[in-house]
Amino acid sequence: MAEKMELNEVEVWDGNMAASQALRQAQIDVVAAYPITPSTPIVQNYGYFLANGYIDGEFVMVESEHAAMSGCVGAAAAGGRVATATSSQGYALMVEVLYQASGMRLPIVLCVVNRALAAPLNVNGDHSDMYLGRDSGWIQLDAFNAQEAYDLTLMAFRIGEDVDVRLPVMVHQDGFITSHTAENVRPLSDDEAYAFIGEYPMVNPMLDLAKPVTYGVQTEEDWHFEHKARQHHDLMTKVFGKVEEVFDAFEKKTGRKYKMVEEYFMDDADVAIVALGTTVDTAVFVAEKLRKEKGMKVGVVAPRLIRPWPHEQIVEALKGVKAIGALDRSSPNGAMGMLYNELAGSLYQSDNQPVLTNYIYGLGGRDFTVEHAEEIYQELLANAEAGKPTTPLQQFVGLRGPKLSFY
Amino acid sequence: MKYLGWDELLPGAILFSFKEELDKDACEILPEERPYAETNSHEAYVGDWRVLKPVYNRDLCIDCQFCWIYCPDVSIISRDKKMIGVDYDHCKGCGICVEVCPTNPKSLLMFEERIPNEEALAQWPEKE
Amino acid sequence: MSEMKKIKNLKEFSTSADRFEGANLLCPGCAHSIIVREILNATNDPLILSASTGCLEVCTAVYPYTSWDNSWIHIGFENGSTAVAGAEAMYKARKRKGTLPKSCEGKSPKFVAFGGDGATYDIGFQWISGCFERGHDMMYVCLDNEVYANTGGQRSSATPIGASTTTSPAGRVSYGEKMNKKDMVQIMAAHGAPYVAQVAPNKWKDMVKKIQKGFATEGPVYINAMSACTTEWKFAPDDTIAISDLATDSLVFPLYEIENGTKLRITYRPKNKVPVRDYLGAQGRFKHLFKPQYEYLIDEWQKRVDEYWEYLQRREEASV
Repeated sequence: MAEKMELNEVEVWDGNMAASQALRQAQIDVVAAYPITPSTPIVQNYGYFLANGYIDGEFVMVESEHAAMSGCVGAAAAGGRVATATSSQGYALMVEVLYQASGMRLPIVLCVVNRALAAPLNVNGDHSDMYLGRDSGWIQLDAFNAQEAYDLTLMAFRIGEDVDVRLPVMVHQDGFITSHTAENVRPLSDDEAYAFIGEYPMVNPMLDLAKPVTYGVQTEEDWHFEHKARQHHDLMTKVFGKVEEVFDAFEKKTGRKYKMVEEYFMDDADVAIVALGTTVDTAVFVAEKLRKEKGMKVGVVAPRLIRPWPHEQIVEALKGVKAIGALDRSSPNGAMGMLYNELAGSLYQSDNQPVLTNYIYGLGGRDFTVEHAEEIYQELLANAEAGKPTTPLQQFVGLRGPKLSFY
Repeated sequence: MKYLGWDELLPGAILFSFKEELDKDACEILPEERPYAETNSHEAYVGDWRVLKPVYNRDLCIDCQFCWIYCPDVSIISRDKKMIGVDYDHCKGCGICVEVCPTNPKSLLMFEERIPNEEALAQWPEKE
Repeated sequence: MSEMKKIKNLKEFSTSADRFEGANLLCPGCAHSIIVREILNATNDPLILSASTGCLEVCTAVYPYTSWDNSWIHIGFENGSTAVAGAEAMYKARKRKGTLPKSCEGKSPKFVAFGGDGATYDIGFQWISGCFERGHDMMYVCLDNEVYANTGGQRSSATPIGASTTTSPAGRVSYGEKMNKKDMVQIMAAHGAPYVAQVAPNKWKDMVKKIQKGFATEGPVYINAMSACTTEWKFAPDDTIAISDLATDSLVFPLYEIENGTKLRITYRPKNKVPVRDYLGAQGRFKHLFKPQYEYLIDEWQKRVDEYWEYLQRREEASV
């Protein structure tokens, strides 16, 4: 029997420790994991917990991240609670298996500590790994700070393991900026956390010897489409309600309220920044400052749920604005950024046709500052005033050299 | 098998081997008594792969079971240590059973698919 | 550990109830199914199985049919081994916690991964190495047909010298595959695995004995199974066992076992050794070697096989 840990009402944890503690409290059956910066501490912390009697599940220290997710899939199909953590190159290495896991409808929790993708090699935080896995069929949540990394990791188990959902879940957090920054985190006690998640509900486990089951079939052109359509259907219809339900239950338990699309100061905002990760907290700080000091009607919208894409909630959140700045922390390599494209997709047919521009920032851990956010808000307000873009559609922010912009 | 719509599928494209729960492992249940699911390939037919079929001559057989063990397609039916016949639903006509049969003349020989077994038995060659 | 099924002779063995079903999509005469049948019939233990992408996987689990009467998983090409290792870890965890499904309580399922030579020698090499290094209680069976058969016969690192494959074809200026076959059995033995062995389906008694020994061994077990491929080795589908006989009796595929990486034992000594030439001559993939300009390769083949046999005997003598 695993030992329980006595936690303080307020702990000082970085994002990695917050995620590790949530994993510990979930009483996972099998963690198959491989270390990679900046998610390594999650794996190390788990090892520490194991060595000191706090874990009674299996900890399989595999030889690569692809093997980590492969082991997780095998374990999940056998029947039980499974989780792992990775970043960047490791995430890219396991991408193949991400699709296999979701196609087989196996609940697995993956803590992704977002880091840039090579080349050039970079260990710092940006969202290129997050963007790589968009179409992999996983439910994807984004944490903007350590508290959220803890909260969302706990909730991920409950969302993904639900017998009507049965999908793997990613919880993203910014590499280093969240993962290695110690913050105040209010955890649940071990008993409360496990009670919130509940026992793993078995569905067609391979270990049920009375009911042999085949996982991972091949489907030819006469069957594949129906299976993928079913997966897409379930992502589109079974997840939103479940996420809302779990968010509500969590709010009742802790008082912390989560929404599929987080909105800050949007009641009367003329312009909005749409961003992910720690940038959201920066933008919120700046929005508050600009409102107080200059009376600017600025707001922030942040998708908490990235996949399935909360189309209706996004349209609703942005229905009143005249200009939007989509901030992407990943090199789009020849196109507009992901958030720009997803927002454009959602807004194109909506009643509101705000001015939409794209900002590429923070690659490889480049700092996104309060000044940057202020400048962006100024530009958005100018766009709103003019009713059209007053800047090029896509601009790079915080870059040395001549101003880089396109369209 | 009927072509199901996306809404009729089991999530994850899983397939069950049996339509009932087993109270012991399949190896302890004779195939004729197993509750095969319609998604078990046992229920499928590949007899149309054949151009030639093996015909079994019970009179010459010594029940050595070489044909049973070397048949890739589980198409040699053996019960109580006796060879009792060919499963023509699953036999692909590879001819290994004939090759490994040690009797003289062989107890299994390949004949054209269209020839009825009785006729084949009547045409059986003599001892060499 | 459950008691091993007693198999005195073939008649007794024939009372096994197969857990591998026909009407799969494997070629007529495919040795893969002969091997799988022998392995699954060697034990009455419940089984949790996996397969890497390849002939066996593709032909036995195309929706809407499965040919497996035990739980089975396919994830991808590299990770058949890790799939089963993950399942084994889940079994261990749930057993320790007392939360196994009711039907599994008190049972000791055996975990077996199947993979072709492509999956085993090449793309899945790291994964198998990892599983063996971690010491999972599992068996890995490589169905070795010396090519990427499922995709039409491309060379793998298991392809022997002189074989004509679609990516190393014999032609006007080439005799086919240029590199020697990788010695996978030795590599797995070097992991310190408690038991590794080479088997062939024609020698069923040797195979069954080794499989049972493997199932009785705790820890990772590697079985390299010679799988004569009628389609890619180019011989008639009814000759599968005859070709396998040539392979084992010419010692191209010697049958031996190694315990703990340090104790080698030869398990089959042919009464009448067959010239390697006869083995090569029976297969279309080597027929170009009989052209005058390439015949020297046949002599080199014989030399290589003889030297390796010498080496195996020396190791057996020295008990290393």
